[in-house]
Order: sequence, then structure tokens, then C-alpha cells
Amino acid sequence: MAEVSIKGLHKAFGDVQILKGIELNIADGEFVSLVGPSGCGKSTLLRIIAGLEEESEGSISINNEPVSGIRASDRNLSMVFQSYALYPHLSVAENIAVPLQMRNLNGWQRLPLVGRFMSGAKARTQEITAAVMEAAQTLEIEALLKRKPGELSGGQRQRVALGRALVRKPAAFLLDEPLSNLDAKLRVHTRTEIAELHRKLGATFIYVTHDQVEAMTMSDRIAVMMGGEILQCAPPQIVYSDPNDLRVAEFIGSPKINVLPVEAGDEGRLSLMGRSLPLLAGSLRGPLQMALRPEMLTLSMVDPMLKGRVVHLEHLGSELFAQIVIEDLGVRLVIRADPAKYEALKPDLHVGMNFDPNAALFFDANGKRIRQVVPAKQLAEAV
Amino acid sequence: MTRIGEFFKHALLLLGAFIVIVPFYQMVSYSLKSPAEIERGIGGFMGSQALMIDERCVGSNTPDRVDVEAARTDYPSLSDSDILGALLEKVREDCKVRPAIFNYRSAFKEAPLMRYLLNGLIVTGSIFLLQVIVALPAAYALSKLKFWGRETVFGLVLFCLLIPVHAIALPLYIGLAKLGLINTYAALIIPWTISVFGIFLMRQFFMTVPDELIDAARMDGMGELNIVWRVMLPTAVPALMAFAIFSVVAHWNDYFWPRMVVTGDRSLFTPPLGLREFKADIDGSLYGPMMATATVIVTPLIVAFLLAQKKFIEGITLSGMK
Repeated sequence: MAEVSIKGLHKAFGDVQILKGIELNIADGEFVSLVGPSGCGKSTLLRIIAGLEEESEGSISINNEPVSGIRASDRNLSMVFQSYALYPHLSVAENIAVPLQMRNLNGWQRLPLVGRFMSGAKARTQEITAAVMEAAQTLEIEALLKRKPGELSGGQRQRVALGRALVRKPAAFLLDEPLSNLDAKLRVHTRTEIAELHRKLGATFIYVTHDQVEAMTMSDRIAVMMGGEILQCAPPQIVYSDPNDLRVAEFIGSPKINVLPVEAGDEGRLSLMGRSLPLLAGSLRGPLQMALRPEMLTLSMVDPMLKGRVVHLEHLGSELFAQIVIEDLGVRLVIRADPAKYEALKPDLHVGMNFDPNAALFFDANGKRIRQVVPAKQLAEAV
Repeated sequence: MTRIGEFFKHALLLLGAFIVIVPFYQMVSYSLKSPAEIERGIGGFMGSQALMIDERCVGSNTPDRVDVEAARTDYPSLSDSDILGALLEKVREDCKVRPAIFNYRSAFKEAPLMRYLLNGLIVTGSIFLLQVIVALPAAYALSKLKFWGRETVFGLVLFCLLIPVHAIALPLYIGLAKLGLINTYAALIIPWTISVFGIFLMRQFFMTVPDELIDAARMDGMGELNIVWRVMLPTAVPALMAFAIFSVVAHWNDYFWPRMVVTGDRSLFTPPLGLREFKADIDGSLYGPMMATATVIVTPLIVAFLLAQKKFIEGITLSGMK
């Protein structure tokens, strides 16, 4: 069980800055996801926590003990890899036993053939066998213990890798995209299992993924990383509904959030395509960005704020997404519509859309969130 | 068109196989035939296997004065010279033998062939073991560890591949002589313990081992040497098999180096040196026993290859990993 605290962490490979001042505190028993597009440094951060990579600057503490310079093998962390990284020559049981053998047996007791006759080896080996059985039962892989990794399916290998990680009860689990080699169905299933495992073990989990759905569904907190920085670290619902940065808003949520240009005019009055919105942006002037989630937009023929042409429809069964191009702006919007309207909507159909201006999110030209936008007292007249 | 193409392909392959097999056929054939058949080139593969007289056997059992005296009671009516003739006739009769048996018996009797084979086993085995002990950690470091000057070191390894053994044989010999190691097993083994070819081959193989496997081993608590022996060695078995073929065949068959450092002490002879026992001398050439020796020398390699054929081919194509 462990708290992990990261302060001012920098990492550079040659001249390339991979991590630029990471600050992150992870509480004991917390499930934190590091999520971001590829190349954002999330895997590097995890590898530095693990001790597989050395930081250029800054410090990491586990349970308030700085771990800089301590080897990966001595940090008491477990890691699950994307490729599972099982030892191909060992059976499932032997794979799971390796971390215990390395820690609980001495060099003589580990020797092949003669090792079992060393003093104390028998009792320790029995403990290890018992621990392996327990781990296998937790993951329901008792039937596979005698097989080699080559004879297992992707999902089974995944469980063995988890078993190898949890068998020695580490301070924290580090998971590096453990689901990305599984097919879609199995991924959804294993996602739930990992979340349940976390609740059962109550251990600290640090989970790296590029898939925002995984991060949203499993984590206590999500750290959204981009360009070597953590843009926001908050619970999933906060990251979704109250993002700090346009990049966070765009990365989290599927389909992607819609962005429209708005203008802050005299007295901070906001307008969209020359049409006034009942909102004031305080002291801000000039061009801003307004972001609307697909579910914030509704189809409306009565005095629509936006007019566009349907270009594509995606029917997902329980929901319907329509892509609508606003020709005046050259912007394509995605809106979530009632699936019942599928018959009524056709490509090339001209439609109108409305939204609740008070729910919209505003960002400045650099993508920083603007929180001083407030509703105007009375509705503005059309200009 | 394709049928003609196939025909030529097979014809070419058959020709190649024929060229490779002919010397072996000749070797086995000679090892079975009598000297007369070999010289006249008759008798097909097996020869007639007619009884022949082993002249060496006759030579070492020729009756002398004492034998004649002892035999006088058996031949009461004959003169000494006739007794001698009769005894000689008897010895010649006793020394009659089938050519194949003669050849193989001489191979084992004239030369202590079992001893040579044992030496071959000790020398090639030790060389291979030491080469692996040196090459695996070196290859691991060159492929998976980051350190200053790694590329330079690897460049030197490649450079060493270009140095022919014979070019440095003399300095090696002098060095060993100064250390007083000539005519020891050490002289046969030590110069070959560092195989740059082995380092190169294993390095290329280790490059294909995923880094995550090594990271996983580190997370599981293994140190670097543990990783080499507990993770890299088992995954590299196919590549090691390929290296074993090159190493064992090269040193089992090596004539040049043992000839240099083993001077006279026959108990250190390796199998190829055993062939020298039958080199042409005053008795004329003893092709039969010589070819029998050669057959005995190559047999262990061929048997080992046939037994482990599948693994070897797996190793050479390096496809056993994925």
C-alpha cells in the first residue's frame, strides 16, 4: 500500500524534452489513469515511477521515501505490460512464481536441480506454491497453471500477467496499456475485472492508456497529459464536464466536443456568427472559442441559433450521431439526436440547432478555460 | 513451362546433393574394402568381403626358433624349415580376416581412437561451454544495455570477425609456449573461448527479444546477470543451437590448431590427428583403416545432427522465438 508523490519531474532524451515539470500526488489505494495521445510522455512517466528509466530532474517519493537511484527491482512495485511480457519458456505457474522466487529464495535455493535440497528451500517453496494458487484463484486461472504462455489466448495471458503482478502484494501496481492488445469485447470485460480487482485489493493503481473510455470507466482520477505536461488531474466526471483546457475537452469524450468561434464585443457581450448570445465575458474582448458537447445541441426548427446541412449519420442503436456542416463557418458539428429521428434525417437535409448558452464552455484563443462568462441580465436584441 | 522449371530446379539440386555425397560414399566404401580392391578400384560399394591376410598380424606372430623347438613334438617327422613353413601357414590361416573388420579393427587398435574421440568431446564441449559463458553476457550488454562506447565495442566485434585465425596462430602459439601450456588441453581450448562470431550471432538474436520482457524481469526482482541466465538463455535456445553447430563442427574437425599445439603427446590427440596414424609410410598407404578412422570421426556429428535435426534447422532460421 503506498502513496506516490511526484515533484517537478523533468525528463529529456538528448535535446528532446519528454516530461516538463510533472506534479502529481497519488493517495494510498487510489486508481489514477494517465491518459493522453501517443507521444505525450505518459509511458515514460510510468517507467520513471517504476525505476526502469531515470529522471533528469525532480523527485519521486513512495510512502514519503524518495526513490531516486533505487533500482526497479527494489522499489516493490509491480508492472503489467502491453505485450504481457511473460517468460515464454516457463509455465503459467512458474511465471507467476518468479517474483516470489527472486525475493524469498537466496541464490543457492534458486539453483536448478540442486536448489530444492538447500536448507530452508522446501518450506519457502511450499509458501510460494500456496501464494501462486491463491493468485490463480483470484484470477480464475487455476486450470491454466501447467500451460506455457504460447498456448494461451490474449485474454488468458493478460490474466497471467496480472497474476504475476499481484502475487507478491506490491506497494503499487503500474499498468502500461494492458488492454490494448485485446479485442474490443474482451477489453470491455477485462476493464470491469481490473476495476473490481482494484476494489478487492485496495491497492494503489497507476494506469496508462491512450483510450479515454478506459480512463473514464475505471479511475478515481484521470490525469490528462499532453506534450509532457499534466493538463488536468481530476475525477472523470469533472474532467468531462469542467475541463481546464480545450485540449482536455477535445481529448475526453466521444464523439469529440464541438468548437465554434465566438466574439466578445463591447461590454464583453458575446456573439456567435454576428448573433448575440445572452452572455457576458467580463473584461475579455476579441475572438474566443465556445465548446459544446454533442448532447448539448438539439435539433430545432424554431428560431435556430445554428443552421447547417446534414452530411453523415451514425446510428449506434441506442443513440444517433449526426454530422452537420455549418457552411458559413466551414465547421463540422456532431450532435446527438434521438435515434427515432433517423428516418427523418437524411444527408443534405438542412436543419436548425439550438443549445443552452449557459451550459456552453468557453476558452480563450490559446485554449485556456474562461470561467468569467456569466449570463446577461436580459436577452439581447438581434443585431 | 513451370514443369520444365521444376525439372531444372530438381536436376540442379540433385546434382548438388550428388557432389556433396560422393566423397562420403567413397569414404565409407573404402573403409569396407580390402587394399587390393581399393587399389584396383573394383568391388563396388561393399567389396567382395573375401577373407584377406592381415600382414601386420602375420608380421607380429612370425614363428621364431623357440616356436619351432616347441612345435617339434607336433611334427615329429619334419625338418626345421618345414616346421617353420607349417607354423607360418598356420599363423597365416589364423590371421585371415574380412576386410571391413580388418579396417575398423586397425582403426581402433593401431590408433587409440576411443581416446581421440574422448579428447574431441572434452575439447569441443569445453570450448562451446566457455564460448557461451563469454558470449551471452557480452551479447546481452551489446544489445540491451546503454553504455558509453557501445557502438564502438560492437564495431570492434565486427572487425574481429574479419581476422583469419591462421594470421594470429603464430603469436598465439608463442604466447602459449611462454606460459608452458603447449601439449595441454588448455592450449587446445583457451584460444577459442572468446568467439566474436558467437557474440555477434547472439547479439543479433537478442535484438529481437522484446525490451518489455527484460523490464518485466527487472520488475520481478532480477539483476542483470540473473536476466542473462534465467531469461535470455532460455529464450535464445534456438540461436544457441545454431551457434553450437558452427562451434562444435569447426572444432571437432579442426586439424590445423591441434597439429600446432599438440606435438607428440598422443594422449592429447583430437580425432582428426588420428588420421595421421595411417599416413603413407614404408608399408604403403593403408587407405582402408584410414577411411575407417575418418568414418568413425564424422559419425558422431552426423548422428547428433540427425537426432536433433528439427531443433537445428529451427535454430538456423531463428524462427523458434515467435
